[in-house]
Amino acid sequence: MNPLVIYLVCVKATLTSFSGMGSLPIIREEFVVQRSVLTDRQLSTAIAVGRAGPGPHGLYMVAAGYFMAGIPGAAAGCAALMTPAFLIIVLLQRLGRYRENPRVRGAIRGITIAAGSLVLSAVVPLAQDAWSAALPVVVSVVSFAALLWTKIDTFWIVAFGAVAGVAGLWLGA
Amino acid sequence: MKHPPPWSVGALYLRLGNTTFGGGDPTMAALQRELVDNRGWLTAEQHGLAYGLARVTPGTNVLAYCAATGWMLAGWLGSLLGVSGVVVPSALLSVWLCGAYDAYGVNPWFGAAMSGVVAAAVGMMASSGVSIIHNRAKGRWLVPGLLFAVISVGAMRFGLLSPLKILALAGALGALYGDAPAGEASA
Repeated sequence: MNPLVIYLVCVKATLTSFSGMGSLPIIREEFVVQRSVLTDRQLSTAIAVGRAGPGPHGLYMVAAGYFMAGIPGAAAGCAALMTPAFLIIVLLQRLGRYRENPRVRGAIRGITIAAGSLVLSAVVPLAQDAWSAALPVVVSVVSFAALLWTKIDTFWIVAFGAVAGVAGLWLGA
Repeated sequence: MKHPPPWSVGALYLRLGNTTFGGGDPTMAALQRELVDNRGWLTAEQHGLAYGLARVTPGTNVLAYCAATGWMLAGWLGSLLGVSGVVVPSALLSVWLCGAYDAYGVNPWFGAAMSGVVAAAVGMMASSGVSIIHNRAKGRWLVPGLLFAVISVGAMRFGLLSPLKILALAGALGALYGDAPAGEASA
């Protein structure tokens, strides 16, 4: 996979989102569904890797880039994650006064809600891939509930998943 | 306000961006405390402007915040060092973890651990989607927001529209419906 294409697709996905994970639906549509250069399992792994450490949630693009094209792909994903951030300097210089405009705020709210919905929609195929037995379903449900209703750090959710997976193999679950 | 050298800006973002877990909001809170309260490099108003504009800048909010505050402190170099200081070390960690996945993926114990991690990632994504909708569909946006959400999921699941078209449509409908100014907004 050409790193330049990875960069351009990732920039497109980032430019149409207003949160770290908001870019996920377009990334999946482009790389998994249309181009078949990434599997759902690799994408899920990239998400887990991106959230295992510190840094922004959008880091999954670096891992996804790595799975598609090695180090150059990871660099392309990293550059694409960073590029749109600098648009804020143009906004600071020219458009700061519009940030309170009700139409602008409404558009952003609508896009953000739709992006959240598309993230939920993208969960379905990833769950179909991950839920090969009862244990992964339990891990997903516990992770979902813990992240939604507690302040637990994501790192511990990733660690919990790894320990549960190893325990499952050991116990033959 | 003080104007620190760009390398000081880069060092601060490097330290805070790579020792704060939990995503963008905790990182921005840590930066605010350091930039405004502890070092006095920015005023509360400058922080508020950067924070507000970061919310309306496409992409990852915390990176836009770093770009803006880095630029306020030390120009384009400060902005570049601020953003890369937060992203690059974490990105290198991600690449290292991916390399480990490639190297040990065939090991059954490692494979079992990764299967558990992938299942956890499914839960993470679902909670991320629910949390995004929950935080935005409030007040006068509760009913239209939930309607947007259901229609978006349906349009995506049944392949009626591409993600890009769904987002464009949601943006257009959101602009038509409008939103309250920041001070009056419920979210």
